[in-house]
Amino acid sequence: MPSMHEELLRLKAAAGEELAAITQLGELEPFRVKYLGRKGEFTLVLRQLGQAPPEDRPRLGQLANEIKQELESAYASRESLLAEAGGGAAQAALDLTLPGRALPFGKLHPVTQVMDSVCSIFEGLGFAVAEGPDVEVDFYNFEALNIPPHHPARAMHDTFYISDSLLLRTHTSPMQARIMEKERPPLRMIAPGKVYRCDSDITHTPMFHQVEGFLVDRHISFADLKGVLSVFITRMFAENTPIRFRPSFFPFTEPSAEVDIGCVICGGKGCRVCKHTGWLEILGAGMIDPEVFKKVGYDPEEYSGFAFGLGIERIAMLKYGITDIRLFYENDLRFLSQF
Amino acid sequence: MKFTLNWLREYIDTDLEPARIADHLTMLGLEVDACVPCYPDLTGVVVARIEAVSPHPNADKLVLCDVNVGQERTRVVCGAPNARAGLVTALALPGAVLPGGFTIKPAKIRGEESCGMLCSAKELGITEDQTGIMELAADLQPGQPISQALGLVDTMIEVDLTPNRPDCASVLGIAREVGGVIGKRIKPPVAAPPTLAGENLPFSVEVESGADCPRYAARLIKNVKIGPSPWWLQQRLLAVGMRPISNIVDITNFVMLEYGQPLHAFDFNKLAGGRIVVRRARSGESLVTLDGTAHQLDSEMLMICDAEKPVAVAGIMGGANSEVDAATTDILLESACFAAIGIRRTGGRLNMSTEASYRFERGVDPQGAPKAMERAVQLTVALGGGEIVAGGVDYCEGVVAPAPITLRGSRTRALLGMDLTLEQIGAALTSIEIDAARIDDDTLRVNPPSFRVDLEREIDLIEEVARIVGYNLLPTTLPMVPMSFSEQDPLRELRKKVAQTLTALGFYEAINYSFVTPQHCDLLGLAAEDLRRQSVHLLNPLAEDQSVLRTTLLPGLLENLRRNVNHQNHDVRLFEIGKVFHPVESSQPHEPFRLAAIISGRRNPGAPVLYTGESPADIFDVKGVVAQIVESLRLSGAITCETCVVGQELPFAEPGSVLAVRGGTQILGWCGAFNQKTLKGFGVKQQAFFLDLDLAALGGVAPQAKNFASLPKFPFAKWDMALIVPVGVAAGEMLSAIHGCGEKCIEKAEIFDVFQGKNIEGGKKSVAISITYRALDRTLDDETVGKIHQKIIEMMIFRFNGQLREA
Ligand SMILES: [Zn+2]
Repeated sequence: MPSMHEELLRLKAAAGEELAAITQLGELEPFRVKYLGRKGEFTLVLRQLGQAPPEDRPRLGQLANEIKQELESAYASRESLLAEAGGGAAQAALDLTLPGRALPFGKLHPVTQVMDSVCSIFEGLGFAVAEGPDVEVDFYNFEALNIPPHHPARAMHDTFYISDSLLLRTHTSPMQARIMEKERPPLRMIAPGKVYRCDSDITHTPMFHQVEGFLVDRHISFADLKGVLSVFITRMFAENTPIRFRPSFFPFTEPSAEVDIGCVICGGKGCRVCKHTGWLEILGAGMIDPEVFKKVGYDPEEYSGFAFGLGIERIAMLKYGITDIRLFYENDLRFLSQF
Repeated sequence: MKFTLNWLREYIDTDLEPARIADHLTMLGLEVDACVPCYPDLTGVVVARIEAVSPHPNADKLVLCDVNVGQERTRVVCGAPNARAGLVTALALPGAVLPGGFTIKPAKIRGEESCGMLCSAKELGITEDQTGIMELAADLQPGQPISQALGLVDTMIEVDLTPNRPDCASVLGIAREVGGVIGKRIKPPVAAPPTLAGENLPFSVEVESGADCPRYAARLIKNVKIGPSPWWLQQRLLAVGMRPISNIVDITNFVMLEYGQPLHAFDFNKLAGGRIVVRRARSGESLVTLDGTAHQLDSEMLMICDAEKPVAVAGIMGGANSEVDAATTDILLESACFAAIGIRRTGGRLNMSTEASYRFERGVDPQGAPKAMERAVQLTVALGGGEIVAGGVDYCEGVVAPAPITLRGSRTRALLGMDLTLEQIGAALTSIEIDAARIDDDTLRVNPPSFRVDLEREIDLIEEVARIVGYNLLPTTLPMVPMSFSEQDPLRELRKKVAQTLTALGFYEAINYSFVTPQHCDLLGLAAEDLRRQSVHLLNPLAEDQSVLRTTLLPGLLENLRRNVNHQNHDVRLFEIGKVFHPVESSQPHEPFRLAAIISGRRNPGAPVLYTGESPADIFDVKGVVAQIVESLRLSGAITCETCVVGQELPFAEPGSVLAVRGGTQILGWCGAFNQKTLKGFGVKQQAFFLDLDLAALGGVAPQAKNFASLPKFPFAKWDMALIVPVGVAAGEMLSAIHGCGEKCIEKAEIFDVFQGKNIEGGKKSVAISITYRALDRTLDDETVGKIHQKIIEMMIFRFNGQLREA
């Protein structure tokens, strides 16, 4: 067993050496605990003082105290030195160009993102959301919307049939009839969902997404239709987006309109996307046809309203500059991660 | 509907630019799809007369032409077989650029000077004719630019017609609309057709039903000379993409385009008995139509017949047995009106669609037949010679005069939201030849013109007013509607919330088609009686691999995984929330929403490899995702994730690597690992894990209420234990035992290490558990905690046949 004197000197040397090697403020505290703390090594040595021969005790006690004070002052100066350096040398050791420890995160499909923004604009205007069945009965998809069998307008819908009376809905408009049949005005609804047409090329997929909307009350006019859809377009695109309404035909609305916005690709100068017209069609709309009201038992003299429908993929393609609609359904992460 | 600007200008006096006309039409609801020059730029190509032809000294097949180009003569080498003295043709002068981009230069051809090129119609991009150089009318002035001489400056405009506007399937109809804009009336080529005397005709017409055929006009023209049409007529047809055939056929096509009235010419001498009978087909009858197709007919189909047999499908296509050909001398012209519904039905059954049926299906002006007949007769006589047999048939018993419509000014104003006077409303209608007479201060009596078959109701007229006033001039307002609260669909909210959680966990959302291949069930190895094999079938799928509605979302995600891996994206986390479809007897299918997700590749896709390493995902990743979904929905108490045996439901899962997600006794879905066979079947070359949940059922589980519990005032104490237990002991059960031992002070028990191997006896494992103790009313001292901890250790040793592992 070494003598207490030797032990104290060894501690002094070891502690001094260790302190000199410390380059970061954070390493100081463990050092203090190890040597100078309540359970530190000096304390332990001092506790053994009682076992030393009585004649040696004062000398050893003094030596221990000197070493301790010496170490404490060395410690304090080391601490101020490191603090002063402001981490200069110490921080250089941290390479902050290394990447952050990010947690993984994914994204919603661009169709969902656009669908959500469309819905939230109309929800902000007080429209409720309703969803209907994808497999629809012929009656709601066509007849309730004033499209009897053999009507030429059926040729505009390349329909997938399940049976004589069942089909994959070709638009989300059947919800108009389903809701009006159940409820009374005032009504403000949108119906988002998947729709299906047997058509497939660079601008058509056999499944795509639509949002149908309608508003019915007393004294609703075509001017109101223009107002609501203009609000939608300025929110969806930009405040100063040029908008035009032009006559069109849908069997379940009259007057019917198609709504164009100034081409977002060429700014209206004319390009391939807008077929050199400077305009892009983004919405179909119109005043709900009196025949549709009659079929659900509303008096067309008392109530009027408008309906509209828009294709989500088309809006996503225009907003994001996507050129091939089929990309939406390949679910390639290189595509999905872009939005 | 295609037409050209020059053609339009025959009926309406306008000098508007083509682009302006196109713009007007689009804003009238006649959307213009194309507005393009009909002919290439032919600057430098002129009319030339070949004055003399002499042989080329060095080439047998070439000749030297002495060509008159007006002020001067020039010499051109030519190889066309029809180059001859006296021929008036087209000459491209040096400097001219032909449509193909070829620039004409003076050249020496086999040693002889040639100053230009004599051209075929094809070389000039006028027609497809390349049999020789152009043969032009002898009276054309040499030197005149060819574009000017042949009227080759024109614009083709194509309108995408909506089904309600058959009146605009005619150049006159389009002209009428343009007239409305510029405030002018059209000048039709036939103002008023003559009245036809029906006596002493060498033919007869019988119409069985006026409902099927409201009108049928017929006239006979004898000694017609069949031949090619003149250039002006061919030019009209060519410009709208129609092939000229012969003068008679071209005339019927031209008048159809002009008036919108389909016409048909029969070879009169092929009509048995000189009779026309308009009747339904009899069972067993058949007909070969002009396109060479043989059709079996039925009693739903309206036919034009002679004394013996059908000779045309009414309103759709003529029969080969009565076709006008080169030998025809006498023709019977038909100008009729057939009921739209019948033509649609027959066209559908015979799967035929023609220019004629397109018009009849949408509605042809019943008063248009005599005018178009007169026009066609005049053209036939002018172009094909022939003698008109005096008189003719004009059956019109089925024609119903359109009922007058009452239009209210107040209603118009209310629906359009615009303050229009009755005068303004009336003027708008009159501008497009809709007569409106004032009845009182608020009412107009409107007689819809016969050509506007779409105008039947007040609303139809209000639309016309809006159209003519211009949609963009109508006011823009926001509706005054009562405030109301719209209910939220809880399932939709749930879908959004789950999607949010999953994206936060690193998943991208996928959307796959609802229709899939029936083979997916085989690839998943589903048993014959598995409900997911019972799918809804499409009657007319685009392809076999899109022929059934999906009953599970997993195959779609597996295919997405394959695609991504094939494109070198190996770290995939995808989810889909969508409907699956289960057939219901004689009703709409059941369409529940499901949630499926797939994990493959690295555990931390997108995170820097530097920190997370390359460690691959395993089943605990997918189990963790389930736990986090459950936690985010506050369902932790109600939903468990338990080990389950791979049964019939999961033939695609790896045995021993599947967990059932339960809510009480109900199974909400599963998570686990795909087996190798399934992955191979889907062409996926790496391990993959899935979760598949019934979303509606998940939504049916009641979430934990949010109830505040006061924060603990006293500190906790954390004590560890390490037990050596047989490997078969489930760690989850050990935790349950601790939680279930009845000690109130246990706040939490957590496994922090499971270890097998060095220093552990074979068949055993060490499980280290840390227990957090806390009392709500005091600080627990070491002695108290020690006693409880010791009790638990003893209980665990006893229950799990374990022993304490020495530190
Ligand atoms: Zn553009």
